[in-house]
Amino acid sequence: MTSLNRALVAIALAAVVAGGAAAALIVSSDHTPHPGAGIAIGLLIAWSFVGTGLYAWWRRPANRFGALMAAVGFTYMLGSLTASDDSVVFTIGVLLASLYFVVFAHLLLAYPDGRLRRRWHAWLLAGGYALSVVGPLPQLLWGFSERMLESCADCPESALLIERNDTLRDVFNALMSAIGVAIVAVVLVILIRHWRAATAPQRRAMAPVLWSGVAMLVVLATALGTDAAGISRLTDLLGWLSLLVFASVPWVFLIGLVRSRVARAGAVSELLLRLGEAPGTGTLRCRLADALGDRSLQLAFWLDDKGRWVDSDGHAVELPAEDDPARGRTAVELEGRRVGAIVHDRSLCEDPELLGSVAAAAGLAMENERLQAQLRARVEELRASRARIVEAGTDERRRLERNLHDGAQQRLVALSLTLRLAQAKVRKEPDKADELLGAAQQELTLALGELRELARGIHPAILSDRGLGAALEALAGRAPMRVDLADLPSDRLPEPIEAAAYFVVAEALTNVVKYAHASQATVSVTRLNGHAVVEVADDGIGGADPDRGSGLRGLVDRVSALDGRMLLDSPAGSGTRLRAEIPV
Amino acid sequence: MDDHPSFRATARVLLEAEGFDVVGEAADGASALTEAGRLQPEVVLLDVQLPDIDGFDVAARLTGNDDSPVVILVSSRDSSDFGPLVMRSGARGFVPKAELSGDRLQELL
Repeated sequence: MTSLNRALVAIALAAVVAGGAAAALIVSSDHTPHPGAGIAIGLLIAWSFVGTGLYAWWRRPANRFGALMAAVGFTYMLGSLTASDDSVVFTIGVLLASLYFVVFAHLLLAYPDGRLRRRWHAWLLAGGYALSVVGPLPQLLWGFSERMLESCADCPESALLIERNDTLRDVFNALMSAIGVAIVAVVLVILIRHWRAATAPQRRAMAPVLWSGVAMLVVLATALGTDAAGISRLTDLLGWLSLLVFASVPWVFLIGLVRSRVARAGAVSELLLRLGEAPGTGTLRCRLADALGDRSLQLAFWLDDKGRWVDSDGHAVELPAEDDPARGRTAVELEGRRVGAIVHDRSLCEDPELLGSVAAAAGLAMENERLQAQLRARVEELRASRARIVEAGTDERRRLERNLHDGAQQRLVALSLTLRLAQAKVRKEPDKADELLGAAQQELTLALGELRELARGIHPAILSDRGLGAALEALAGRAPMRVDLADLPSDRLPEPIEAAAYFVVAEALTNVVKYAHASQATVSVTRLNGHAVVEVADDGIGGADPDRGSGLRGLVDRVSALDGRMLLDSPAGSGTRLRAEIPV
Repeated sequence: MDDHPSFRATARVLLEAEGFDVVGEAADGASALTEAGRLQPEVVLLDVQLPDIDGFDVAARLTGNDDSPVVILVSSRDSSDFGPLVMRSGARGFVPKAELSGDRLQELL
């Protein structure tokens, strides 16, 4: 037996003992008119509260609602102290007789999770608790009213009686009643607000207890009002009515629980049936929303290869946090593998069995939708990367045009002018012509250098002629720092793969030089499991941002276009390792 | 050996002006090998990019024997574009085309 179960059994025993004691008090009382009926009704109400409370507590140990429910039962039994013939016990009984009512209001305010939602609700309840004890004081200090004396002629004297003073008692009584009505009214307003703010599934869960509670509060507030107004017959009637409604609360709650179990079994079996129907008769989301009765339900699918959640269209989505007050999430697994998640109204977390059954039933269907979502995500990615590749091509052409125009072309224009000038001077001023030809030679060398650089950037000839290994050796030789070539493929790889691998290394080395503050870099290209694996690692400062610059983004697209993927590992202070895996 | 006739012509004029005796020309790798075998030159000026066999392979085949000619690779590209290939090809050296002169050749011979 767990410690929780032991505690619950102990509480149940305490309720039995307390009930027995209350019954004994009532039986031995000389001022209780119908002891048998009193005991039966009292114990029925008290024990049904304690019983359903303990049941709820056992089902949902984390929810304080069950404990509050049991507390209503226990405090209700305190009223039996008024059956005592002893003046002191009787007086204590009168003081504590209304306490249960405030505990009940507490229960309503804290419904359905057993926690108060606002700080001032706690203050309001504290006022209620105080009033429930202070409320009977005018009667105890200045003598019972005529009506009380009529209904309880043999009751013991108040232990707190100072002197009989009807005026003082009536004034304070009216004051206490007014405060009581005010508190009840505020509680009612709060409950109505809770109801209006609740989502459909929350309302379904709240309805039984909330409405019976509200009914009782209304009846009781009216009773307090009529009591203050002195309409005793109506007060008695309303008192009985409120007792009836009050007694029904635990049963209504219990029926709600049982109904949700039956409804759950029905919902899950219907879901299973509908999931077996031909596709196209409504989306999975709609079916799960129906089964859980939550129109706001959303589905998220897990893409293992990308390590992220997407919706059914393949767009990335964020799941609500574990402690999100409005939305809950339930994982859906298939054969122990994460498939997706149901994102639903928080109130459904109160029924983990239902969520569990629905999630289990939805596993296979979710997996099918997940595969579709994966495909859509992939199409979406391809579309975006295709657009980027076209854009990058246009950008590249623009850059080439600008470089040619600003660089080599300008130099050739200048060269043409210089040569014409030299030609004009060659006979009359041969020294000047010689000088001009020297300048022309310099200009030409610069133009050639720029053209070479440009041509190399477009596509290095050595890559097509001699393959990736030779091209990388040349690249390493040109780098302004030490670049070790660890592994290079001995065979030629398909040309697009060689080109992608070359530009991955070239861009990576450019980034290493620009940002990494590294003294050395290592390049390797290996063939592994049908993939060409390109790795560039440096001993620099790390902390590289994968979103930095368009160069890396362009490479990711280039590698993705070949069905490959890029991985960047760059912990701060521990160097950077860029890895591209391209299927061969 | 070069597939560009204009460069071959310029190089011939330039080298003959500087006292070299140009015994033959070839426009691709295969004819370069045949011509070199037939003419037995002392120096072969060899372009890296030829339409059939590339300059490094031609150089490798031309060199290696005692009576092999000295091979000088030329290219409009920079030697850094080729990494260690120039060293490994068996060629004596590399001269960028724009810097070709009798003096540069003499330095390497």
